[in-house]
Amino acid sequence: MELKKTGMAGTLESSDILVVIEPKNSEGIDILLESVVIKQFGDQIRKIISNTLRELGINQVIVRANDKGALDCVIKARVQAAVSRATGSKECFWRVVES
Amino acid sequence: MEFYHFVEQTIQLDNREERARVEHFLANHSLRLEADVDYSIAIYRQGMVVATGSLAGNVLKCIAVDPEYEGRGIAGRVVSRLVAEAYSRGLLHLFIYTKPENAGKFSQLGFYKIIEVPAGVVLMENRPDGITAYLKQLKKYKRSANMVASIVVNCNPFTKGHQYLIEKAARACELLHLFVVWEDRSVFPPEVRYQLVKDGIKHLPNVEVHKGKDYIISNVTFPTYFIKSPDEAVKTQSLLDIKIFAKFIAPALGIKRRYVGTEPDCPVTGRYNQTMKTVLPGYGIEVIELPRLSIKGVVVSASQVRKHLRQKELHLVKELVPEITYNFLRSKDADSILEKIGNEAGGGLIGAKKNRNGRHT
Amino acid sequence: MYVPGNNPGLLKDAHIYGADALMFDLEDSVSLQEKDTARFLVFNALLSIDYEGTETVVRVNSLETPYGRDDFEAIVRAKPDTIRLPKTEEAEEVKEADLLIGEIEGKAGIELGTIKLMAALESARGIVNAYDIATASPRLVALALGAEDFVADIKTSRSSEGCELLFARSQVLIAARAARLFALDTVFSDLKDQAAFAREVEYIKQLGFDGKSVLHPRQVETVHRIYTPTRTEIEQARRIITAMQEAEQKGAGVISLDQQMIDKPIVERAQRVLALAEATGMNKEDGGR
Repeated sequence: MELKKTGMAGTLESSDILVVIEPKNSEGIDILLESVVIKQFGDQIRKIISNTLRELGINQVIVRANDKGALDCVIKARVQAAVSRATGSKECFWRVVES
Repeated sequence: MEFYHFVEQTIQLDNREERARVEHFLANHSLRLEADVDYSIAIYRQGMVVATGSLAGNVLKCIAVDPEYEGRGIAGRVVSRLVAEAYSRGLLHLFIYTKPENAGKFSQLGFYKIIEVPAGVVLMENRPDGITAYLKQLKKYKRSANMVASIVVNCNPFTKGHQYLIEKAARACELLHLFVVWEDRSVFPPEVRYQLVKDGIKHLPNVEVHKGKDYIISNVTFPTYFIKSPDEAVKTQSLLDIKIFAKFIAPALGIKRRYVGTEPDCPVTGRYNQTMKTVLPGYGIEVIELPRLSIKGVVVSASQVRKHLRQKELHLVKELVPEITYNFLRSKDADSILEKIGNEAGGGLIGAKKNRNGRHT
Repeated sequence: MYVPGNNPGLLKDAHIYGADALMFDLEDSVSLQEKDTARFLVFNALLSIDYEGTETVVRVNSLETPYGRDDFEAIVRAKPDTIRLPKTEEAEEVKEADLLIGEIEGKAGIELGTIKLMAALESARGIVNAYDIATASPRLVALALGAEDFVADIKTSRSSEGCELLFARSQVLIAARAARLFALDTVFSDLKDQAAFAREVEYIKQLGFDGKSVLHPRQVETVHRIYTPTRTEIEQARRIITAMQEAEQKGAGVISLDQQMIDKPIVERAQRVLALAEATGMNKEDGGR
């Protein structure tokens, strides 16, 4: 999928994560992460973000995320929502998510 | 599940009662609902406001939480809602003003400190690399020269007065960095103002034209410049804007001097110039005030030009603006702008409302 | 119990409060700007959080809104037990939802008929068409009354006595019973007034409802307490079921207990009592709470 614009999803409320996804000119997934639990879970959060993006075929992207202790499935949901907003596509989204 | 006790509501700013409730709540926290606010929310608990926050373009402001409910994620909820609204409006680079004691709280909400001024105000932005990215961009234009100077202009629109100032400044230094105010709150949109200046000074080889963006006299650094309310805020904002210039922009380009035209009429600009003269020398930047061009004994100003345009006196405009501006005004591209200026004269309720944010004169 | 669909803090442990079913809401509790994000959130929560056997329901947006179709596409694939159709007014809407779910089940490789439906009646038209709606699809397992919109539709407001809802409640209940569905009552919004809430639960239990929607964990216990059968009732129900099983084994056509003939409705009521005892934790050896 191609990112057409910046997409944002999530909030700064407790147990949530705010994810902003911007298109990038070059290959690679850059993640700028802030988290209340960065010491314990920083690496895991990054992994979930990049795995979710790869599943969706996104690999030229800058991600800015501010985590307030979100569960893995919440992180995944917010990344997917931000991508769907940035690509403007809903079509086939669930099937991609499914596989 | 406290969630259910707090009800979030978008404030209809035109609804006097709703507005008053928020104003009253803010007043209890020594804040005002500022004039340029264009989106506000409130969080209610049992019919009482317990928190509020607003947007003015890409600036989050007038945020307050009842201390009794602090520490329950309410501030996060307010900021999240405002950020989501700004994004949905396509505003991605966001700023926030706050008191130094609250800076920590906002840094947890994803904001990064740009600068603090003594009056007790901190300006923050939502990207860790916001101002550094802007400076990096600027540094591409850094050249060593004997005297590097700068001048900031709005040019609404570009007049012979501007041209005269720029020519004078350019002759007196080796390299002149010219910043065009980038905010889209003047009748002439930024792209038009920028292009007219750029074309109008083509004959001056030592002038580099930049877009002012968020960090120079913008809705962010200096909102009162656009709303022209002669209040306390002008002092703080002038200081903030000038400090950003002195601490970040000037060093990035090696600027040692700033030129400014004399300002006899507008108190806000007058105050700004005054602050510049007090603050900049402390950073090793000289401030030089240049007398403005007069034609037939009258000081040339952009507001004079707009006045003639409003009264459809194009022949009088011709005397005040360079050929490049005159040609633009007669082109089809200027139609919508001229129409807007015409409407401003209409007065009455609609005119007043359209003009709520004020226009720089 | 209602769980707002866009609140991660509430999604993760909504099942620990003992509600029999969790109803994740994508409809009225989610603002228009967040319909998409809530959908992703509930979708992922259902796929990855273990709700430990608590029944899961998702209230989707109506297919007449711009969000309905996407809600179905996502939610069916996340396989909740039931999808709740809001503001149902005609049997046609249930049939449309049934077909769409079947289509998505097919595409996603889910066994046809897995996802059940619950129809919420929230308008005068919905109430009038209750029986048609109740019999519109084999997926339907329950009818529910949504009173907040209903009272607005019939131009009144809710009172503590609930006289304005009597007809609607009766109609929903009768239609559900006639179609062999569960009947679920509407929410009670004043979270502070527990006494009034308890009175309302007593009342709808007496009307015949199988249960009540709740907004807050605090309300769960009250419903359970009122719906909990007494020990005597449970004991009697067990005896009836035993008698029935014995009769079946013997191949007897008539079930009798204590020299009385037991007919079908009585067996069904006994089954319901035991199911309730199960749901409220009363069937354990120690007698539950």
